[in-house]
Amino acid sequence: MFAIYKKEMRAYFTSIVGYLFLGFFLALIGMFFYASNLYSGNPNFGNALSWVMMFFILLVPMVTMRIMAEENRQKTDQLLYTSPLSVTKIILGKYFSVISMFGIVMLITCVYPVILSKYGTVNMKSSYACILAFFLMGAAYMAIGLFISALTESQAFAAIMTFVVVIVSVFAAQVAELMPTTAKMAWLVFSVLILIFAGISYVIMHNVTVSVAFGVLAELALFVLYRAKPDALDGAVVKVFSWFSIGDRFGNFIYGEFDVAAIVYFISYCVLFVFLTVQAVKKRRWS
Amino acid sequence: MIEVKNLVKKYGDHIAVDHLNFTVEKGQILGFLGPNGAGKSTTMNMLTGYISMTEGSVTINGFDIYEEPEEAKKSIGYLPELPPVYPDMTVREYLKFVMDIKKVQRGRREAMMEDIMTRTQIREVADRLIRHLSKGYRQRVGLAQAIVGYPEVIILDEPTVGLDPMQIIEIRDLIKDLAKKHTVIISSHILSEISEVCDTVMIINKGKLVVMDSVENLPKHLEHTMSLKLVVKGEEGRVRGALASVKSLEKLTVKPGEKEGFLSVFVGTKDKADVREEVFYALAAARCPIFEMTSDSMSLEDIFLEMTKDDENVLPLSGSEDTAPEAVPSHENPQAQENACGEGGMTDAAGEEE
Repeated sequence: MFAIYKKEMRAYFTSIVGYLFLGFFLALIGMFFYASNLYSGNPNFGNALSWVMMFFILLVPMVTMRIMAEENRQKTDQLLYTSPLSVTKIILGKYFSVISMFGIVMLITCVYPVILSKYGTVNMKSSYACILAFFLMGAAYMAIGLFISALTESQAFAAIMTFVVVIVSVFAAQVAELMPTTAKMAWLVFSVLILIFAGISYVIMHNVTVSVAFGVLAELALFVLYRAKPDALDGAVVKVFSWFSIGDRFGNFIYGEFDVAAIVYFISYCVLFVFLTVQAVKKRRWS
Repeated sequence: MIEVKNLVKKYGDHIAVDHLNFTVEKGQILGFLGPNGAGKSTTMNMLTGYISMTEGSVTINGFDIYEEPEEAKKSIGYLPELPPVYPDMTVREYLKFVMDIKKVQRGRREAMMEDIMTRTQIREVADRLIRHLSKGYRQRVGLAQAIVGYPEVIILDEPTVGLDPMQIIEIRDLIKDLAKKHTVIISSHILSEISEVCDTVMIINKGKLVVMDSVENLPKHLEHTMSLKLVVKGEEGRVRGALASVKSLEKLTVKPGEKEGFLSVFVGTKDKADVREEVFYALAAARCPIFEMTSDSMSLEDIFLEMTKDDENVLPLSGSEDTAPEAVPSHENPQAQENACGEGGMTDAAGEEE
């Protein structure tokens, strides 16, 4: 595992990607730190981070796009998967390297609350809680990026898919609020989602029967639910979207609350997607 | 050492590998022979645990590749079709990385690195980025990678593709050298390579095992082990009539020769019987003079082509009607066919067997 980790870290720093990521990220944090803390005299560092959160849309695909896709394209995955390392160790090595890159950024960021304290009273506890939550949130996004990268040989495809997924997740709550809350609308939205999932499952598994069966069964179940108990679908879109909204969970930290549920939520996201990546890789090889 | 039982690989409805069974003993050099798309790479990928089998089992050194992959993979060194190298590493960094993932003991690394670089002759490029290396050097780096840790089983998928003739000879010598201590499996569609290096040959076609035997024993598996090529002046009917009287003749093809009035005739015999004399007298009696007669016992090339060709090309000894001119036994021009085969291999190899 450590061998893979070392290799990945070196790959970040022998190519321009690592420096770009660090530079871009630190510049953004610095900028928003200046704008929302120093300039406006606000002692809450969480505010600056909540602005930076938007830029996960660009920063996450940047570090995760190559992580698996490049191996698949160069066929170096043959070296890794025929070596006496388990798939889990390979994936973990890679994942830890991605979050280490992000970890470097967050370590440097730890200086900001100290700087801020020179100008007034800063709630250190809540500031560092924000940084921790921000780190875990990023790690969750990166787990998704890792998973998407494992599905393809093309870095560009991985980048675009990750971009889309992160955008949806960041704005999920806002989008959901705009949606009408009627049961009929919910039915339509969920049908479209089911179709999208069926499509994705086909891309991953290349199995028409399973995907079609899944699509048809899920649509049927949804229709039955809509017919039998339309009340259940009232406002369901908003609820479901906010489940998936990683960004939404950060809100409480900004107001100085230590939201344990959110921490658990972020970590479960990481674990789930690392697990899914391992399964996807195994599936690819076992198909 | 390696035990393969009932190995099957299906991609949807397509059967890439069809119930392969074989064992490889310690110290053996096994050659995998087959045209492109025969399932060589697929089989090798299954042996090394890169892809799964649909059915069957592979046991390496007593460990099942599916049940105990980590243990089984410890004794394998694998060079796939495309050398799995990282372009942005130097050769030395790359080999160090391979030592890391293969968990080579720290104390042994220095000496192993030197030894491997010397044997694969990559010392002079040790500190260059792999990105800047030629195909031949990349191939050698890939080979070096397979040897790292001196695994008991070394599996090489077309190790000499893309190398120049000098390098091919060097790599062959290296493989022979490796075989002294390791069990080696190499695949190729180039026969001279297999016959020179291997002691056992396994011919597969369309995923099926055609034959597995030692190089010397291969000819025994053929019906026709001797063939004659003739250029005869005369009419087709007369020539056929004359040759019909020759005993132990198994195969006969007649087609128009290059010049007007000449025929080119192929004769295949059974049990290595020498029919040259009989053929001569038969044609002389029919007043069909022979202008050329070449005899050759089948080379490995012919055996390969014979065994892997489609069944409809096999011609029975027959009258005149059903011998179409294009249905010539494929050993007519082994060299040309082998070249065609070789070229196809270089360009299509990556796509065809996936």
